[in-house]
Amino acid sequence: MTAGKGAIAVLLFAPILFGAMPASPGQAAYERANALFVARKFPEALAATEEALRLDPKLVPALTLQAKLAMAAFRLDVARRCLEQALALDPRAPYAQFLYGLVAYMGNDAKEALPRFRKARQLNPTDPRAALYLGLTIESLGQPGEALSLYEEAVRLERAAGDLHAETLLPGARLLLLLGRLEECERWIRQAMKLSPDSRDVHFELARLLLKKGDAAPAVAEGETALGLSDGVVTDAAIHYLLIRAYRQNGMPDRAAMHAEIMRTQETPAGNKAKD
Amino acid sequence: MAHNEELPRLITLLLLFGGVAGPAAAPPNIRFQEVAAKSGLRFELRNGAAGQFHQIELTGGGVAVLDYNNDGCTDIFFTNGAAIPSLRKTGPEFYNRLFRNNCDMTFTDVTAESGLAGEGYSTAVAIGDFDNDGYPDIFVAGVKRNILYHNLGNGRFADVTAPAGVGGADARFGNMWAVSAGWLDYDNDGWLDLFVSNYVVWDAATEPRCGTAERQFYCHPKSYEGLPGQLFHNNHDGTFTDVSQASGIGRHIGKGMGVAFADIDGDGLTDIFVANDSVRNFLFRNRGDGTFQEIGLEAGVALREDGFAIAGMGADFRDFDNDGKPDLVVSGILNDSFLLFRNLGGDRGFADDSQRTGLAMGTRMLTGWSLGMYDFDNDGWKDLFFALSHLSQSDRYMGLDSILPNRVFRNVAGKRFVDVSAAAGPDFQQAAMHRGVAFADFDNDGRVDAVVSVVNGPAKLFRNVTGGQSHWLAIRLRGRRSNRQGLGAVVHAHLPDGRDLYNQATTTVGYACSSEALVRFGLGANRVAERIEIRWPGGGVQQISGVAADRIVDVVEEVKP
Repeated sequence: MTAGKGAIAVLLFAPILFGAMPASPGQAAYERANALFVARKFPEALAATEEALRLDPKLVPALTLQAKLAMAAFRLDVARRCLEQALALDPRAPYAQFLYGLVAYMGNDAKEALPRFRKARQLNPTDPRAALYLGLTIESLGQPGEALSLYEEAVRLERAAGDLHAETLLPGARLLLLLGRLEECERWIRQAMKLSPDSRDVHFELARLLLKKGDAAPAVAEGETALGLSDGVVTDAAIHYLLIRAYRQNGMPDRAAMHAEIMRTQETPAGNKAKD
Repeated sequence: MAHNEELPRLITLLLLFGGVAGPAAAPPNIRFQEVAAKSGLRFELRNGAAGQFHQIELTGGGVAVLDYNNDGCTDIFFTNGAAIPSLRKTGPEFYNRLFRNNCDMTFTDVTAESGLAGEGYSTAVAIGDFDNDGYPDIFVAGVKRNILYHNLGNGRFADVTAPAGVGGADARFGNMWAVSAGWLDYDNDGWLDLFVSNYVVWDAATEPRCGTAERQFYCHPKSYEGLPGQLFHNNHDGTFTDVSQASGIGRHIGKGMGVAFADIDGDGLTDIFVANDSVRNFLFRNRGDGTFQEIGLEAGVALREDGFAIAGMGADFRDFDNDGKPDLVVSGILNDSFLLFRNLGGDRGFADDSQRTGLAMGTRMLTGWSLGMYDFDNDGWKDLFFALSHLSQSDRYMGLDSILPNRVFRNVAGKRFVDVSAAAGPDFQQAAMHRGVAFADFDNDGRVDAVVSVVNGPAKLFRNVTGGQSHWLAIRLRGRRSNRQGLGAVVHAHLPDGRDLYNQATTTVGYACSSEALVRFGLGANRVAERIEIRWPGGGVQQISGVAADRIVDVVEEVKP
């Protein structure tokens, strides 16, 4: 199970939007902490969160924010404890429940993530994030049909809210590619392209699809475009590897060799730096 | 004309049956019966685990098949672990073991008389007749200790590691942790050379700890520094020269697991594939001058199609689509999907056919160790057998049991693989911590059987009881100018129904394991192979015609003056 780092970052740094809350002595400190967190001023955000919780230890949004701070630092154990506290205080807090699933997902614990995401879906059936991550979890457990339905549901919910993201379309596109459903895959990727024309991930996925279809020349073009973009989580190495194969298929072995050489040069010490 | 003592009988058979294929029938289910206990094959692999989550506990399980006494019946050798951290075989429970096949599908433990109990933490085994004396020798690889046993021909083996010079200490890394090994004749000089696949730097005292005090688990391989592979050149006098650096192979640091050998581009030279764990795989193209060029990236076998480095485990080079070019299958762990690379020929490299053949989705939830591509139903298409079990902590994280049943996938006309495990019989459904698997026809009935090692559990012997009337042929090569076992030879069978089948002689199959050297073909309904062509490692080509099915054919290499 691989958590998409970029997608998770987007989730973490989104502001927490809670409905009207009863007045709390920690409210002002919490709101300041939330603003600091969105601004990625983590030490300041942590201090403000701790102040909010000192003033009101039962302030669920502050506990949730504390969990997000911990997740951003990959302290999943701390995040889990904060969320368990929050959910003990308010078992019907949908966002805390979603994050509780996400903590398990980030720790590769599909067994725990599954019921948590399911519960998050129950608490807020209109939350596309819960549908998406439930789908990712279910896909990692080997049920592509149900996963694809959940990806479709996530897309439907985002579209209904007028807030469709390319990142929500890509997991479904990848699964369709794996299933060999190339025409459907292309439709999903083309939608994602319209939404995020400067996403390296989207161009990379389109290049993969084109290569699989045997369209090496456009695959090269999409791969080179992806390589020139910075917005995304696909690694340079993955794109170089695609370009090696696309150039070779396109009858340009010299260009392929150049990308292979770049890959070898850029490898970490754990890999291979030798030259033949 | 090939050496063939059966020729007169063959001509009679040809006249009788005319080489005409019978009517095509629906394929029978591939079926196995587990007969280890009944056969007296009692072995338990002990990995020495005691709750400390040492990485070496994960990688053992090498098993080999060989006819060590040349009685025509295939024997079995198991590697075994040791106590940790001493890495000593502190008792018989840790001994490596040799079982003699009594030629009636029963086995006798002959470890003591053979002198093969061994020392150290053994992981892998490779069989090859390195001195061309007609008796297969045994190389045992392990954690910081490798042993070469010379088969003395009298039922005993002698440890010749030191005089042979294959102890394996590296100038930079010292004694390394080997996970697989294999014999090949990379320079076609008629003598087998040795390749050793090394994994990561490991020391019990400095090993990283992962997880928490309450929830410890095995560390990811990224926590360990990788190691280079090694190549030893056979000096023709019982000694070897470490040519790892001179050949270029030693300059490539990986996390080596299974290895596979084949002539990938038809230039008559054996190339080397190394499946790496969580870093890209290596494909070493043999330049023919004693050096190798690593071309995994260019050939398209370095990574999964999306650029992901799977936890590569076992590997086998075989021609799954009968186009005359060796393809490559690689196993991985949960959510990797196993990989199938189709050889495009020449210098065109490979295409990732995992998705197109159904193998990607069919194996996505599996963790595979050793494997092999053999024609279990003798229909002329090579099938896949995977020894499976998840890493020990998977159940905690994925809600999956670590133990798994093995799987067999039927090859449907070289186009797709279908998981037919459910129909393979009740014994085949039994889950365990499977690791190694080696392949041979133990009962000489023409159907390929499998012996499987199990971590901390009894080994399994899967007797192939597939029904149907399919015919078969096995070629036992005897090199004269080439190495004695003919390893590296490519054999082509042309059938009366127009089909052409290809296979190669190698004992290096899967992960940590060694399979029989015979070259096998399933002939389907054909009662004869119209023509058998052998391309020997040295380049010589030899043909025999009208070869009757359902037997082992001995072919001695023709040497022209």
